[in-house]
Amino acid sequence: MAAGRRPPGAEPWLDWMVLPTVGVLAVVVGYPVVYTLVLSAQHYNFLEPEPARFIGAANYAQLVADRIFWQALGNTAIYTFGSVLAAALLGLVLALLVETYASPRMRLVRALLLTPWAVPFVVTAFLFRYMYLQNGGVVNAVLLHAGIVRAPVAWLNNASLALPSVMVANVWTMTPFFFLLLSAALAGIPNEVIESARVDRARGMSMIVGIKLPFLRSALLVGSLLMVISNFNDFAKIWATTQGGPGYATTTLVVYVYRLAFENFQFGYASAMGVVWLLLLMGFAVAYLRALRLR
Amino acid sequence: MARISLRNVGKRYDDVVALAECNLEIADREFVVLVGPSGSGKTTLLRIIAGLEHMSAGDVWFDERRVNDVDVGDRDIAMVFQNYGLYPHMSVYDNMAFGLRRRKLAPADIDARVRRTAQLLDIAPLLARRPRQLSGGQRQRVALGRAIVRDPAVFLLDEPLSNLDAHLRVQMRAEILKVHRAVTATAVYVTHDQVEALTMGDRIVVMHQGRIQQVGTPAELYDNPVNRFVAGFIGTPAMGFIECSVERTGNEVALRAGDARVGLAPQRAQAVDRASTVVVGVRPERLSLVDDASAHADTLTVRGVVQVVEMLGSEQYVHVEVPAGMLTARVTRDRPVKPEEIVTLRAAARHLHLFDAPTGAALTAPVRGEI
Amino acid sequence: MRASRIVQAIALGLALAWSLAPIYWMLATSFKNELEASALDPTLWPHAATLDNYRGLVGGTLPFPTFFVNTVVTCLATAAVAVAIALPAAYALSRARFRSRGAVAYGILVSRMLPLVVLLAPLYLLLLHAHLLDSNLGLVVGFTTFGLPFAVWMLKTFIDAVPIEIEESARVDGYPRWQILLRVVVPLILPGVLTTATFVFMDAWNNLIFPLSFMTTLEKQTLPAALVVSFTGQFKTDWGGMMAAATVTTLPLMVAFFAVQRSMVRGLTAGAVAGV
Repeated sequence: MAAGRRPPGAEPWLDWMVLPTVGVLAVVVGYPVVYTLVLSAQHYNFLEPEPARFIGAANYAQLVADRIFWQALGNTAIYTFGSVLAAALLGLVLALLVETYASPRMRLVRALLLTPWAVPFVVTAFLFRYMYLQNGGVVNAVLLHAGIVRAPVAWLNNASLALPSVMVANVWTMTPFFFLLLSAALAGIPNEVIESARVDRARGMSMIVGIKLPFLRSALLVGSLLMVISNFNDFAKIWATTQGGPGYATTTLVVYVYRLAFENFQFGYASAMGVVWLLLLMGFAVAYLRALRLR
Repeated sequence: MARISLRNVGKRYDDVVALAECNLEIADREFVVLVGPSGSGKTTLLRIIAGLEHMSAGDVWFDERRVNDVDVGDRDIAMVFQNYGLYPHMSVYDNMAFGLRRRKLAPADIDARVRRTAQLLDIAPLLARRPRQLSGGQRQRVALGRAIVRDPAVFLLDEPLSNLDAHLRVQMRAEILKVHRAVTATAVYVTHDQVEALTMGDRIVVMHQGRIQQVGTPAELYDNPVNRFVAGFIGTPAMGFIECSVERTGNEVALRAGDARVGLAPQRAQAVDRASTVVVGVRPERLSLVDDASAHADTLTVRGVVQVVEMLGSEQYVHVEVPAGMLTARVTRDRPVKPEEIVTLRAAARHLHLFDAPTGAALTAPVRGEI
Repeated sequence: MRASRIVQAIALGLALAWSLAPIYWMLATSFKNELEASALDPTLWPHAATLDNYRGLVGGTLPFPTFFVNTVVTCLATAAVAVAIALPAAYALSRARFRSRGAVAYGILVSRMLPLVVLLAPLYLLLLHAHLLDSNLGLVVGFTTFGLPFAVWMLKTFIDAVPIEIEESARVDGYPRWQILLRVVVPLILPGVLTTATFVFMDAWNNLIFPLSFMTTLEKQTLPAALVVSFTGQFKTDWGGMMAAATVTTLPLMVAFFAVQRSMVRGLTAGAVAGV
């Protein structure tokens, strides 16, 4: 009289199938994660002749007192949330705009609107760097000719302008993602809903806000979460444009950790920062997902 | 060809009990239909027989072999799914040959079998086509063909006709039965349509809320339903029910519903025992519309308000609300009836089904052959 | 009514201009000679168009063709390996009902969140000990690992769309799971597989931080890293050359992107719109 819980034959295959992925991730991700935790409690400078020594939470204490860390954190928040917000809004506007045109020619237009996403991030970075040149950059040229400014602006060399300038490039790259996502979500709204709204005389803004937006909510939220996570990791876009400068104006957490690890070789301190970063990101994601589910 | 034995089969998903204490014996080559409303567990039971799901309790035996732990592919079964489950990227020929190739048969052998089966089902001209190029009925036949070509011991069919339009469904019912006779294997067929069950099954298994309510031939289920659920589920239009109170005066036992009163014959009175209320069931064809409202001996005469009249060609179904219940009468169209009209219904006492009020179990059923 | 139509058309025009102008600028500059490219007052289109910048890529001091080959090889390898490993896992996650499935799925989502940089130091040391630093293989290992969670997630959404009854038919026919995956499921999700592979390819192509950190020999570098390095060296003020290199770096990615652009929507929305 058996009451087996797992049918034989069929299921073990499935366990085996997960194994390679889990195995690779365990080794190449899991192990370094553990190692990072260990490193974060050590003083480990790759260049120093002395071996790593355990210093407990000293790295974390240093972190809290590190003014640059806080600046980097602030920059990361502004860069990430600011860019995602702008890109989501622009993507939404574009999606709504393009949706009103039903002709097949729009396929080409759609494809063209997506091109910024197809450009490698490094290229975008250098491209915008070229365009932002104080002398010879096309942005300044256009502004000067149009009379909007009287002298060439130092976009990337000005501490208060640098971060927004980099964000513009980021938004340029990210908008197509939201455009594509939201266009698809819009197309997924059942026709009956739109038609019964029309019968109820909904038009223009009330149609958009009242009827369409709710359908887009889940796509917007998930898309934003994905992009926030992705933006936290943005190295190429910033490094190739400004290397985190001028000063630390565009230094985000990624950049700071990279410099600590590969310019100063302070593996221990860099690891501690990485741990804090990870906790912050996970905390954010959990809170975000919970807000998603609750509503 | 195989005998199937289900002994105390049960299935639960976390807290939900899908099946409980299912016992069933299916003879070799029998065509058994599992019927019940959605959620009754019939598909779950079928899938457990197939091996696609594993039971939480109990055993399944094929002939002398306990197959609980035998993998789906080793049970020598073939299955037809509700949505056919055809391989979209293969031709009809390959769909049918796919299962055979697994068994390492000679290609010539496979070819012969596939063509023979295609002939049987009239789909020979479709062999080169892809499923998306076929109509619903054609896909259904291919699904059938795929099962037949395997020459299995057991055929399992999970609501295969549900996706077809009504006309096609009736046609395919006959086809399936014809094929079953030609192939002579054991078949277990799941449907939610009791009409389908009655017309197709050698024996029918009525299921409700995870339990087997009754097993029997169509006649047995119709004439002697073992509880209120089976009585109300089998038969079109459905049996009507009234709640009656029991009156005992001396040796006589009678049932009363409002103004209506009917005395029970002694054998039947015995079955009522000490109950104070009883549910009475009447088949629609046993009710007649009468004009005089006076009580007659050995009949149940009851007055009510017509709710709905359904016209069906030569006859009509009249749904009447009576005190303590609803009755449906199946009568000819000679006497016109309108909704809101007050009518009198009459049924002979010997045609009444009696059920225990709290449990629904049958107390006594009409005996066939009595005048 | 008309007014709003005109406004919409203008808005669309602006959007197109905004999207395409920088790309045009990159292309235009790549055809300008050194003087024109660094002119104080830039010209709208190359007055003296030249192919010198592109010639300079092939014959110059930096071996751009080698960089190109390195990048293509590592990214293709990554796409192939990542998809091969991710497919069985995506299938298992989609079809299985074991308890830990939720945990595994969540774990994969979390690993997507992992900042690569966090793991840079230990990863560097890990590769060092395995003698994989400064090698294409090491890069592939790095790229693949971070492409895996995404590949599993995306493939899973495609597999979810395959009706389960088709697989159950195959199970009844006696086929083991791995054969069902290969012979029944994969043919049905082929566009999805290609889309996923392309995404992984693109992600790997975009990755700057790994080549920068793990490769020490210049000849073994990938294009993105080479761009950064060459900027401080060869191309200090040679924007024309820089843009030519940039264009070359962009082309394969664009081609890949547009090849799968349409089915990309399905992959993205299936997961994103339906919920995480």
